This record gives sequence, C-alpha cells and structure tokens, in this order.
Amino acid sequence: MPDKPEPKVPVTPPEQWVDQYGDYLYGFAMSRLRNPDAANDCVQDTFLAGIKALERFDGSRDIKFWLRGIMRNKIVDQIRKSIKENKVDIEAEDEALLESFWFKYSGIATTNPDPWQFNPRKSYDNGEFWVVFEKCIAQGKDPAREAFVLRVLEDQTTEEVCKAMDITPNYLWVLLHRAREQLKILLESSWTGKDVK
Amino acid sequence: MFTCKQVSNALSKEDYEKMPPVRRFFLRLHVKLCVFCGKYNRQVMDSQDMCRCYKKHEITNEETFVHYRPQMEPLKKDQLKELIASQSK
Repeated sequence: MPDKPEPKVPVTPPEQWVDQYGDYLYGFAMSRLRNPDAANDCVQDTFLAGIKALERFDGSRDIKFWLRGIMRNKIVDQIRKSIKENKVDIEAEDEALLESFWFKYSGIATTNPDPWQFNPRKSYDNGEFWVVFEKCIAQGKDPAREAFVLRVLEDQTTEEVCKAMDITPNYLWVLLHRAREQLKILLESSWTGKDVK
Repeated sequence: MFTCKQVSNALSKEDYEKMPPVRRFFLRLHVKLCVFCGKYNRQVMDSQDMCRCYKKHEITNEETFVHYRPQMEPLKKDQLKELIASQSK
C-alpha cells in the first residue's frame, strides 16, 4: 500500500480542537439551529466523527474547514431530528396558496410582490449587513426557516428536504416563499436606514 | 422558451447561477420579459444571489461573525475535552 502523503497544512491534534475550533463551530451551528443544546450536540458529534475520520484527512485544507464540512451533515441531522419531533402541518393560509389559480398555473405566489424598500446589493460589501442578515434568518418562523436552512443554506436537494420534512415539493416551494417573505420584511425593518448615503 | 411554471420549477430546484449557460440565458430572458411571473421570480433570483453572497462571505470573512456569534460555555468545553481525550486514546 502506498504511504499516506504528507499533509500540506499542519494537523491540529484532537485534544486541541475544543480550544481552537469549539467556539467557531458552535457559532456556526447556532446560526443554523438557534438552539444551544442542539448546537452543543452538533459540535460534539462533529468532533467525534472527526476523530474517527482523521485518518482520511488529506491535509489539503485547514482542518477547521474540514471539520465544518463534517458539521454541515450534523446540522442537517439535527434539523431532521427536530422536524421528527414537531411534525410539519400545512397551515390554512398555505393550503389556500397551494390551491390558488396563480400557484397552479405558474408556480408563483403573486404577480405583484412588494418591491424592496432598499437595494440589498448595495450592502453586499458591508460585513455588518451579513450579521443583520444572519440575525434575520434566525428570527424566522419554523418550519419555513428550517426548510430555508436545509434547502438554501445547506444545499440539500428538493427531494432530500421533502423526505426529511415529509412534505410535497409544492409545499416546500410555499415554505421557501414564506421564508423569503419573512426575511425580506425582517431585513427591511432591521437594515433600512443604516445604509442611506 | 420556458413557461412561467417551468421557470418557477427550475428556480425551486436549483440556484440559477448553477444552471448551464443556455438554460440560464433563457430563464433570465423569460423573467425579464414576463408580465405574469417576472416580478416574483426576479425576487426569487435576487434572494438566491443574496444567499450565495452570504455563504461566500461566511467563508471568506469569518471574522465578521466572530464577535456576534455565541460561544460555547466553559463547562461544556471541559466536558467535551474530557470526552475527546477518552476517545482519542
């Protein structure tokens, strides 16, 4: 068997992971889960999975990013667990939207959505905007927020999210619509005014 | 050319930036010209842009979030250190 190539970056021993990456990974998990217990479990599961898989770490990138890659799967597992405990029910308003003419005909919720009160693109280079953005995502209501995190932030496929949430693709689209709506409203109330130049 | 339903379906399944160039071109063209779904799907595409930028910013400018994101409690850290020490022996 060929020898394992030397890692390109130094490998931090697992005993130092908590001090070096604990806060970073916990903060990352909280940004997706907003539940301290779930975030702690996630960090723990990540480190334990990391120890088991350490032999396969090729050292091509910082171990922090490698651990974060493992953590993404753990975050998805935690959200799945939370959804299993709180089954997703379709709200009457969402049911009406699913049955509406426009949704059936064109897959859209409305032909005339409210325009943005500010141009978010102008704020993309401002770090503070992304902090506000993250806070707004965390304030969203479940299950729309969970669907948004899984589908958009964690890049799960439509099929994977539908299976995890036990919903139809059409209802997922409605949930994502709700999440975008919430995010827009929250961003407009939190950010408008800060960016006026 | 896409129909409104096809545009919505495509946007619900994938980020438009990840679509093949020709498909992306026709999708953008539809969204630009369509009086029915144009405004709505334009906002969906803007939302996809925003989330893509956030994820990029999260990786390249992680110091932005350091002071804002919560940190692990010291007690939890100690417990985890003990667990890791026992696992990595």
